[in-house]
Parts: sequence; C-alpha cells; structure tokens
Amino acid sequence: MRNLLFNWRDPKIYLPLILLIFLLILPIFLPTYFLHIMVTIFVFAFLSVAWNIIGGYAGQLSLGNAAFFGLGAYGAVLFTHYFNIPPWIGGVIIGGAAALFLSLLMGWACFRLRGPYFAISSLAIGEVMRLLFLHQRKITFGAEGVTVPFKGDSLLYFQFSSKVPYYYIALVMLLLGIYICWKMERSRLGYYLIAINQNQDAAEAVGINSVRTKQVALSLSALLTAMGGVFYAQYIFFIDPDFVFSLGLSIEFALMAIVGGVGSVFGPVIGAFLLRPAMEITNALLGATYMGVHLIVYGGLLITVVLLKPEGLIGWLARRYETLLKLLPGLKEKE
Amino acid sequence: MLKYDILLQALVSGILMGAVYSLVSIGLTIIYGVVRIVNFAHGEFLMIGMYATYFLWAYFGIDPLVAMIINGPLLYVIGILIYKSLFRRVVLASDFTKIFLTVGLSLVLQNLALLLFTANYWSVRTFYEKMVINLWGISISYPRFIAFCGAVILSLLISLFLLKTDLGKAMRAVAQNWEVAMLMGINPDRIFMVAVGLGSAVAGVTGTIIMPYFYVFPMVGAAFVVMCFAVVISAGLGSIKGALFCGPIFGIAESLGILFVGADSGLIVAFLILLVVLIFRPSGLMGKGKL
Amino acid sequence: MLLEIKNLSKRFGGLQAINDLTLQVQEGEILGLIGPNGAGKTTLFNLISGVFTPDTGEIRFKGENITRLKPYQICKKGICRTFQIAQPFREMSVLKNIMMGAFVHSPEVNKVEKEAEEILDFVGLEGKKEMLAKELTTIDQRRLEVARALATKPKLLLLDETMAGLNPKECDEAVLLIKKIREKGVTLIVVEHVMRAIMSLSERIIVLDYGAKIAEGEPEKIRNDEKVIRAYLGEEYRRAAGK
Repeated sequence: MRNLLFNWRDPKIYLPLILLIFLLILPIFLPTYFLHIMVTIFVFAFLSVAWNIIGGYAGQLSLGNAAFFGLGAYGAVLFTHYFNIPPWIGGVIIGGAAALFLSLLMGWACFRLRGPYFAISSLAIGEVMRLLFLHQRKITFGAEGVTVPFKGDSLLYFQFSSKVPYYYIALVMLLLGIYICWKMERSRLGYYLIAINQNQDAAEAVGINSVRTKQVALSLSALLTAMGGVFYAQYIFFIDPDFVFSLGLSIEFALMAIVGGVGSVFGPVIGAFLLRPAMEITNALLGATYMGVHLIVYGGLLITVVLLKPEGLIGWLARRYETLLKLLPGLKEKE
Repeated sequence: MLKYDILLQALVSGILMGAVYSLVSIGLTIIYGVVRIVNFAHGEFLMIGMYATYFLWAYFGIDPLVAMIINGPLLYVIGILIYKSLFRRVVLASDFTKIFLTVGLSLVLQNLALLLFTANYWSVRTFYEKMVINLWGISISYPRFIAFCGAVILSLLISLFLLKTDLGKAMRAVAQNWEVAMLMGINPDRIFMVAVGLGSAVAGVTGTIIMPYFYVFPMVGAAFVVMCFAVVISAGLGSIKGALFCGPIFGIAESLGILFVGADSGLIVAFLILLVVLIFRPSGLMGKGKL
Repeated sequence: MLLEIKNLSKRFGGLQAINDLTLQVQEGEILGLIGPNGAGKTTLFNLISGVFTPDTGEIRFKGENITRLKPYQICKKGICRTFQIAQPFREMSVLKNIMMGAFVHSPEVNKVEKEAEEILDFVGLEGKKEMLAKELTTIDQRRLEVARALATKPKLLLLDETMAGLNPKECDEAVLLIKKIREKGVTLIVVEHVMRAIMSLSERIIVLDYGAKIAEGEPEKIRNDEKVIRAYLGEEYRRAAGK
C-alpha cells in the first residue's frame, strides 16, 4: 500500500508522483493535436481497463463492449438533443442503466454455461445494437449520426471549447478506473474471479457463486464502458452507429489489454499508451488512401501476441521497472 | 390486412435462405466439432469464395455454378494453409488464444479485402438472374432456387460423407475424443486439417452459389457469420443435424422479421431467438448438452 | 439427526449408480463409508454436495430440504466436501487457496487472511503458506484440500479418499488430523479404502455396493459381515478371474 504521507525519498513513491505531475502540467506546453492524442490515450486506456475486468479477470472474452460504449454515447447525445437533459443524466444515468440492463441479460443467457457462448453472444449483441441504431433512423438519425449541439462551455452540459478541460477529466477518469480495478483485484470479488478462472468446480465447492461473480464483473465493466461512451460523445461532438457500436472498437479494447497484459491493472494502460499513438501515426501517414490498414495491423498484432506472448508485456516491463527503481537514488524500503 | 400469399412468400423466402445458412453453419460446425475452434473468420471464407466467383466471372466469364468446381478445391486448399500456418498452433491452447486468433484473422482478411478491392459492392450477372418460377401464387427467383437446391444437395452429400465414408467416420471419432481416436490409429493432425479445409470449402462454395443474387463487399462475411453463430448455438454446438434444422428456422424468422418489423431487422429477430434458446435450453435445440 | 437421506436414486444412462438409498448421519459422529470401486460413494458425495441432482428421493440437512440446491448454496448451508483427486487452485499460494474457503462467511480480506493462517497451522502446513499449490507434495495437497474445506466452517465435512496413496505413517497423521477436526465440532463422513484407517476412525460404518446399502454398524460387526466380505472378495475374485 502506498503511504503517501511518508518516505518521499523512496523511488517507488516519487517516481509515479513525478510522472503524475508531468502529466498534470503537460497541457501547458503541449500543442493541441498532441493534447488530443493524450486524451484519446486516456479514454482508450480507461475503456481497456474496463474491458479487462470482464475479459481479463473474469476470463469472459467480450467482443461486444462497444454495445455498452454506444449506449452511453447515444444516451448522452439523444437526451440532450430531444429533451435538453444534460449528459450526466441522459448518458451517465440512463445510458448507464441501459448498459447495466443489457449486461444482466447477457449474463443471464451465458454465465450458466461454459464454453465460447459469451464471446459469441457478445459479438452478436454489438452487431445487433449497431443495426438497431442504424435502422431506427427516426429516433437515432441512423447512419448520418448525431451531432452534439454546442451551447458554449458548460460543466452541466459537459462540453468545452478547449481540449484542456477534457484532458484533465479524462486523466481523472483513467485514474479512477485504475483505482477501481486495483481495489477490485484485492477484494473478495477479485480473488473469486481468479478462483473461478482456475478451477470453477472447486470454486463452487467452496461456496463461490460463479454466475453471480461473473455477473458483477460484467456489470461493472458495462457501467464503466458506458461512462467512457458519454465522455467520448461529449468530446468528439459527433457519433454514429458504425463507429460507436463497431466490432473494431470492441476488439481494440481487448487488444490493448492483451498487448499490455490481461488480468493486470496496468496492462491495458500500457497497451493503450503503445497502440493509440501508433494508430494515430499510421492514420496520419496513410490516412484515407489506405483505409483499413490499421485494422490489418491490429489483426496481425492480435494474432502475433496471442501466439507468442499471450501474457502481454507487463511481466517484462514490470521487471524493467523494478531494475529502474533499484538504480534510482533515494531511501528505499527495506528489501 | 395480411394476405395469405404474402405470408407464404415470406415463408418460402425464409426456407430458401435458411438452407444457405444451414450450409455455412455446417462448415462452422465441422470446424468446431472436430478441431474445437470457434472460427470467427468463417464469414471471411465465405467472402473469399464470393470474391473468387466475381473475378472468375469478370475475367473469364465463368458462371458461378460452374465456378463451384474451382472454388471448392480453392477454398479447401486455403483452409488447409490456414490450418497449417495458424490453427495447428492453437489446437491445444486455451479458449482465449483460439478465439482471439480467429478474431485477428477475421480482421486481417476483412481489411485486406477492403484494401485490395475497396468497399464497393460488386455483383455478377447471369442469364438466369431475372428468371422466376411461379408456384402456388408466389414467385421464386431462379438464382435463389438454384442456391437452395445446391445447399440442400451439398448438405446431404456432407452428411453422407460424415456417416458413410471412412474419412468421415474418422472425423466424427476425432470430434468425440481425439486422444482415443489417436490410439486407434487415426492421425488427429490430418483430420483437423481436413476438417478446416472442408469447413472452409463449404463456406466458399456457399459464397459461390449465392453470388447470382447477392453482392460482395469486404464486410459481407461479418453479417453472415453472426446469423450462422445464432444457428449453430441454437442447434447445439457441434450438432450437424441441428444446423440442418435450425438454418431454415432462422431463415424464416428473418423473413418474418423483415415482413412484420422492417428491413434488416432479421438479425435482431435471430438474436432474440438465440437469447431465448440460451436462457431456456442452453444445450441447444438438438444438442447433446455439452456444457 | 444432522443429515437425512431418504430413498435416494440416481441413474446415469444404463447404470443405476445409487439405488433407493436411505441413511442418517448424527451430529458429532464420524461415519465411515466404504464399498468396492464403483459402489457409488463419490456419486453419493456428488449428490449431497449438489453436483448432481437425484432422480428420486430427498436429502435433508438440519431438517431443511437441500436436495435441489446448487453446490455453492450447499456449501453456505454448512456442508463441504473434498475431491478424490485434489482440486486446488494450482496457480495460487497455499494461503490464498485456504482464504477462498474462508471468504464464504466474510468479505474482509484481512480477517479472512488471519483465519486462513490459523487453519494452515491447524492442518500442519506451517511454513508453506506462500508456496504455490501446484508445488505441494501429495500429502500436503490433501492437507490443503481439507484446510480449504475447513475454512468454510462446515458443520458436515465429506472426505473423499483423503488417504489414497499415503504411506502408513502419513495415514496415521491423517487419522489424527481427522480426529482433531471432529473435536472442533465438525461431523464427518469419510470415504476410504485404507481399512485400518477407517476401522480405527469410524464409530459407525455404512457399506455400499452397486449403489445400495448392504451393511451398517460398528466396525467390528462390519468386518465380519458375510455380505461385506462377499462384496469385497467378490471384487477380488472377479479381478483375478480376469472378468
């Protein structure tokens, strides 16, 4: 446990602190475009941490988290558009509730079973959501998408003209997500998820309700992902079903966690910090001329990582980090 | 109010399409049943078959029904290559590895198609595309009818193959228990390879026979495969008989959905059926309760 | 009467695994359950612990009907079982394995950790708390099975062939541990093939064969029972004759 009141001289404490301070002052001198990239990194890291709760810890491979993401996004935008209700209610509460309900439905259908059912069903539900929102154009505007009407800087309506407030909100969101995941890992829920993953029969024999445990993980993941959707809508000011409900998005959440390390708190964050900038660069260089190249790279990366290093990079990186800590000056905790 | 012949038209459409779903689902089932891999890239095998058909027609004027003879072996070979390069490595791995391997493959294939062929919709022209059969007051389009016949014949052939031939029996043995099959002198690696090749060929040939009335674009497989997953799960993962019966059921559900709810609601109806099946009869309508 | 089983039957395809079985378990006793291989002992445990549902009959625990409950529910009611082939959480430490059982009654990690440490010492795994379960020796894995089950604070503990493969000295240690467990107020049903152990442990023995009860009573009486001898000898004769 980090005891921030003591021992400033321990690199285990001051190094992350320095990093945090660096991130906090970054907006002062970073140009807008790079600020934007940082925001997307934070958001995707958050969404990947959310995926990791169900995909990594609970071992239920969701290929449809975009369904929750889209619900949050559309909740935020549509309720503002039609009823002038702030996204805190439309997105966070109503969109979140919808995502929660959907997660309960999926859990009910799939968690009593063992096998690939959840992966398949989650894929299907992402697609179904996409088609639903695509074709109910009277309500959702279909493929044209919806724009968030700009009412000027407002915390109530969660919109700002500058990227800077978004940066800090995204950072806080990410830190919150990490904190939630970290706490969960150390709680009974976290232990239960690991037990179920290793030996479900033994887990049931010692009183673990595996259906309910998985359900809690999924619902948590769904809620957090929906929040990410709300943020995204309010940041980009435009959403359409083909993006917010896309399979590509769902896979991206998973891919970042897999590259970084499933089942670890920081794995998804590392994955996001590596993949997002890479994707932005690829897009910038190849852009619209070569559509879909970045997805080929994602697919290839997924195959490669899964075949060669399924645990992700976190193990290797953690060891490098430990080495770095030892080399840094300062009073260290007794070994 | 609703006229009897509109309903009948929808039912017939559904059955015609359903046979096609059955055939693709049989391919999926063979791969899952024998190799225990959920092939998320199965739709892309269909897509490759469709693009191959298009190019054979565009450059050589070959009619899709003839192209079957080329595409079948072609997709079989492609399936084998994919098995040897990728699937073989994960046969004993965790579900996690298997799923993300095929998901990654699907991404790569879809977007490779996007890169090479653009997102445009392409279709072939045939001399019979406008021909129609009139029966019992409804009209059945010739291409759909041919596809239906092709699907039924192929499904029966495959069932016979699995039941009667030595290779087919070996595949069923491996599907039940590959370790025991191995002890009985069957080479599981070879059987896995044949299964993937066969599943892929089936998907490719299906793509071929639907080209006369469908169009091809990079994401066409994705739409199909979700429907087929619904079929395969409702049937009971690994049940060929189930796939045969559930295909038409979902075809009809899709038709009725389009009729009563609206265009493109077919998938939503299918998904609802899937949810109901999972909740109330998880082993599938005809499955062996492989839980 | 702690556990009451009435007219329990279970069939698997063509095999009648449990055949109209009726028995009771009194609080505080150590009940031995023996019988030739395939007699249905593990199946009975599976039925009691909720892994299988019986075709007919009912199971009552402390008067409550638990026949159709799921395994985790039965554990919460106070019945825990160990597995014939040890099923630890292999990649977890010994301590964490035991904690999994303790979590049934409390979500507090610190409290559960302390409880687990006590049980660790109780079963004789001191010094091994950070070892991974997969690194343990057979006898220690058995200890871990028992420890994890004890952590769920059961009123009734079902031990399935805990002593299989142990040498005589290890068997004696196991017998001592089981007696210690009973002293803590836990009722036990013990399935064993190691005759000297079960004869010395149990106050009462039930013998199963082909899913039915063929004898019941004190160890001495069972030892000399005609039917029991035939059931066991019959098995040996059958094996010797190569059938």
